Amino acid sequence: MKDIQEKMYLLKNNKVVNWHEHVWLKQGTGELNENGCHKLVRDAKLAYMDYLVCSTPISGGSPNPEETKICNDAVAKAMKLYPETIKGMAFINPGYTKEALYEIDRCVKGLGMIGIKLYNHYFASDPVIYPIIEKCIELDIPVLFHAGKLMSRPESQPYLSNGEHFAMLANKYPEAVIIHGHIGGGGDWLWSLKAMADSPNVFTDISGSVHDSGIIESTYEMMGADRMLFGTDMSFPSSLGKILGSDIPEQDKIKILNNPKFEKYLERGV
Amino acid sequence: MTMIIDINTYIGHWPFRKLTHNTPLQLGCIMDNAGIDLMCVSNLNSIFYRNSQDGNKELFKQIQSSEIYKDRFLPFAIINPAYPAWEKDFLQCIDNFGMKGLELYPYYHNYRLTDRAAVELIKLATQKGIPVHLPCALENHRQRHWLDVKEDITADSVKGMLSLCPDADIIISNGQTARMYEELQPIISERKGKVYFDFSRVNAIDAAFDSLIHSIGTEHIVFGSAMPFQYIDTQMVKLHFSKLVQNDKDNIMYKNLQELLNL
Repeated sequence: MKDIQEKMYLLKNNKVVNWHEHVWLKQGTGELNENGCHKLVRDAKLAYMDYLVCSTPISGGSPNPEETKICNDAVAKAMKLYPETIKGMAFINPGYTKEALYEIDRCVKGLGMIGIKLYNHYFASDPVIYPIIEKCIELDIPVLFHAGKLMSRPESQPYLSNGEHFAMLANKYPEAVIIHGHIGGGGDWLWSLKAMADSPNVFTDISGSVHDSGIIESTYEMMGADRMLFGTDMSFPSSLGKILGSDIPEQDKIKILNNPKFEKYLERGV
Repeated sequence: MTMIIDINTYIGHWPFRKLTHNTPLQLGCIMDNAGIDLMCVSNLNSIFYRNSQDGNKELFKQIQSSEIYKDRFLPFAIINPAYPAWEKDFLQCIDNFGMKGLELYPYYHNYRLTDRAAVELIKLATQKGIPVHLPCALENHRQRHWLDVKEDITADSVKGMLSLCPDADIIISNGQTARMYEELQPIISERKGKVYFDFSRVNAIDAAFDSLIHSIGTEHIVFGSAMPFQYIDTQMVKLHFSKLVQNDKDNIMYKNLQELLNL
């Protein structure tokens, strides 16, 4: 029997990369909420996390290029505040193709971000996404998608992608590195797991406030540790509890905490 | 290690997702691993059988089958006050089966907590010195099966009952604790009966967690895991990072329930 203190050694003694976190703007401004950023890093260090891969998405409406630039500049500021800890993902709206492609270049080549973050403005399988994915392939960067199969109030996010959309996108672009965001983000996670289980270039992070027993074991069984990434998405206790409490081999937990397939992206952000 | 009493655990079949650790043996094993000493437990079958009492009888029989179970499990009776003979069933659970609490599922059994029979049942429990456990939900509504119910217990669905049953001791688990406490606080402060909350859905660690617990008061907080629905380590992580003083931790981990259940 291991108590929680002993279980936490898994994080203390291993490299921990949190692939799904956020920094936010100070309310009513276009500036980074630095206090929130400090608190995030403080909590992360408390839980022995080495890296936080952060973005600043806008969930409502259809953000224009100026708005996404403000978000990404806030992420760049966070990266400067904590260069040893925070890595950035560029948030873009695929609806503005030309500007989005420019913004990806600006953020990746100019600001040292290591991937892109898409929210729920279009399904992952929508052709409007294609040039964005082609750009990610060209730059060899991963794309992290907000995702879920909502069983209640699906109308609240009408273009929310679930595992089926990811499988379609992966089938069209087998060389893309596609991350299904937060398998524990709320929604029928079994639906999405079953739908994308056979798409080898779809990965998932384990973040989210849902800590249903079996969610990690099912993800492990259907996708394997090679396709799982640790993440928290503002839900530290749930995400830590899931990985610590799951019944999978310790070596595979270590792999999830720092998936070797994704290490090259972290190095690139230096 | 500090003693822990868990207010919210289950055995039995869940029709909407495969559960593991839902027998007394399996649940006991996982609770041993987590360092849980005593578990308040009910039978999920009582929610889905038309006659809830059949599930309560199963629970009683299973616990009686082992001395270890008798020592570790504190059975709670699930009673449907919208179904005939609820009073007789409740009294059998308390007087004959020695059950320690009453557990209600208005969203599955299709009644409101302010319905006459529900109020009568809660008052009867209070007369017998039995607390009432209200799990706000079993699964998060975002991933519920299409045949499952849509409702949860909310502050609105509890308010009227708290006023109609001012002496009843109530435990509200697996809900939006911060929001519910804020909305219910004016009523809670005027009642003789106590109201307790768990922190199973409190999404914070360290100072943010401690601050919420202090704002509600450690005399109103109990430990609830919702096992086998959820990973228990999520709750342990919150306690691990908490800087509450030991006496406060003791309150929420066992003392409040020890006193409430006369253990």
